[in-house]
Amino acid sequence: MNGLWLVARREITTRGRTKGFVVGLVLSAVLVGALAVLPRLFSGPDSFTVGVVDSPALQSALAGVAKDAEVTAEPFADEAAARKAVLDGDVDAAVVDDRRTLADGEVDRELGALLESAHQAAQTQKQLAEAGLDPAKVSAAMRVTPLEQVSVGADTRYEDVRTGIAFLLVMVLFFLLLQPSMYVAMGVVEEKGSRIVEILLTSIRPWQLLGGKILGLGILALANLVVIIVAGLGAAVATGFSADLPPGMTGIVLGTLFWFLLGYAFFATMAAALSSLVSRQEEVSSVISPLTLLIMATYFVSYFAAVEPGSGVARILSLIPPFSTMVMPVRTAGGGVPFWEIGLAAALMAVATAAMLALGARVYERAVLRTGARVKLSEVVR
Amino acid sequence: MIDIDDLHKRYGDKIALDGVSFSVKPGEMFGFVGANGAGKTTTMRILMGVLAADSGQVRRDGRALAFEDRRRFGYMPEERGLYQKMKVAEQVRYFGQLNGLSPKEAAKATGDLLERLALTGRAGDEVGALSLGNQQRVQLAVALVHDPEVLVLDEPFSGLDPIAVDALAEVLVERRTAGVPVLFSSHQLDLVERLCDSVGIISAGRMVASDTVEALRAREGRRLLKVVVRGAAPDWTTGLSGNITKNGDEVLFADANGSDQEILRAATAAGTVEHFGWERPTLTEIFREAVA
Ligand SMILES: Nc1ncnc2c1ncn2[C@@H]1O[C@H](COP(=O)(O)OP(=O)(O)OP(=O)(O)O)[C@@H](O)[C@H]1O
Ligand SMILES: [Mg+2]
Repeated sequence: MNGLWLVARREITTRGRTKGFVVGLVLSAVLVGALAVLPRLFSGPDSFTVGVVDSPALQSALAGVAKDAEVTAEPFADEAAARKAVLDGDVDAAVVDDRRTLADGEVDRELGALLESAHQAAQTQKQLAEAGLDPAKVSAAMRVTPLEQVSVGADTRYEDVRTGIAFLLVMVLFFLLLQPSMYVAMGVVEEKGSRIVEILLTSIRPWQLLGGKILGLGILALANLVVIIVAGLGAAVATGFSADLPPGMTGIVLGTLFWFLLGYAFFATMAAALSSLVSRQEEVSSVISPLTLLIMATYFVSYFAAVEPGSGVARILSLIPPFSTMVMPVRTAGGGVPFWEIGLAAALMAVATAAMLALGARVYERAVLRTGARVKLSEVVR
Repeated sequence: MIDIDDLHKRYGDKIALDGVSFSVKPGEMFGFVGANGAGKTTTMRILMGVLAADSGQVRRDGRALAFEDRRRFGYMPEERGLYQKMKVAEQVRYFGQLNGLSPKEAAKATGDLLERLALTGRAGDEVGALSLGNQQRVQLAVALVHDPEVLVLDEPFSGLDPIAVDALAEVLVERRTAGVPVLFSSHQLDLVERLCDSVGIISAGRMVASDTVEALRAREGRRLLKVVVRGAAPDWTTGLSGNITKNGDEVLFADANGSDQEILRAATAAGTVEHFGWERPTLTEIFREAVA
């Protein structure tokens, strides 16, 4: 156990200090943080400035209708001044004489609707008062409880956000499954090619060396994942975007960590086993190409699942190891996945990971001391 | 006591080891010599368990070697292996801890060893930045850091400068004196002759000799008689039997076993006999003879 931990610690301290890891960590965190706030930046401001010329009723009505958005009214002396302000971009739109709306091109759709309903309310109130009705009674009658939204189908309110989260997960998991697996492969070949492994394996057992390497690099990758999640959620909170996050975020985050760990154990073991067949760094990429292909395939199917989380294909893929490691968290982010499906997928993947650990350790143990020409997989699997 | 018993190993059609047996006693320095490709490295790798023999056994004090025994061995493989990107002291400490030292013990042992191998100034450098000979010293430190009970070193002296050779020799002698069996291979026969109590000569996968240096010398059949006569006529040896080599006043007689007294008489008659005696064969001569 001590040997395992010593190896893991060496991996953490040496790999964690490399430029590649630090750059990857910072970049991924910045990227995800930026992506988390980007939709908000592009969806436009929810606060507007409206110029008003000679429309006092509208001005007070605006305050009544604008609940989610903030609308500031700015009075102008005449239409010419209002026009200039619109063209200069000082105001988003201007209302003149309770008749016309001025805008540079089209009025923002949300603002247009706000102005229209404020205008309706102001005019109705004014005309009713002119018809001789008590203004107090009128305004009491005008107070209407807005319609409450109830969805009888799937809850689609957060659909866009859920899809966004799913896409982020696809990217992050792809990066964090591929990168540390490559590190494992490179580390195995470094030790095999330089024959350090001969000294190491007279001091510790193969499983300690292999396990320690996978564990150490896994801890680094897990730390990277946590940093990414914190950066993403932190950016969302800082920009006020967190109010738009769907319920069940804790489940999504924990599920992602869980699936990452299973997937990492699977892919990293596979990387170690394959790379132990060769002795030179130049041969690494060709010998681990089955692994890279498998991760790529997982990436593509989970990309599909992010687009169509409810489809039958996504459901099936989310059960099949190792695709489940990325498809299932992506589907979970989409919402509405029954628990038994998650349980089944987890059980299947756990079995696949255990099998990969057993097989991978066997291949590694038999191949890692056979330096020289590339070892055939068939020779060491038997 | 380390016993290597009847090791056989083949690579495809090529027979690398064909019944290799020898023993290394506690407190014995054993030099393992042989031509390139004779099977030294193969034998040592099997001894260290990084290669499996086709048949044969390696025992310590009568018991087959297990992983736990080998953990307490110090091993230096033929192909040097170190983490190039790791710092010198950090690396030696790491291997010390892998072999069961506590962090404190490992740090102390590392400090002492680096001091002895004149590497203290490089302790904080990455191994890859060191010259080959200095990397070699780090490799030695890695093999020695956990105060091993048995030392198995494959060509530990190759690539070292004379100062480092002396430093390493001193460390090995010290270990030997402490009762550790020391087995090392080398092509530097003068060094082996100077340091070793016993020598094993391997040729084409078979042991052709394995004994103490004294016994090997005694067994050597071809004995040389060296005679130095001052003021003798150059042709004083005419008529004497044996294979004669002349070098100034110095004359070497090979195959002179039966005629030594006759030669002495001739020498005394010819001039002033300054030297008359049997030459001890050097290890190089024994080696040449054995593998011929
Ligand atoms: N992996 C291998 N595959 C095939 N043949 C090998 C392999 N390793 C060693 N041999 C062969 O086994 C024989 C013994 O090699 P070994 O390395 O033990 O020699 P050595 O005595 O250490 O030589 P040197 O003095 O050059 O280091 C050689 O003929 C070599 O070609
Ligand atoms: Mg050799």
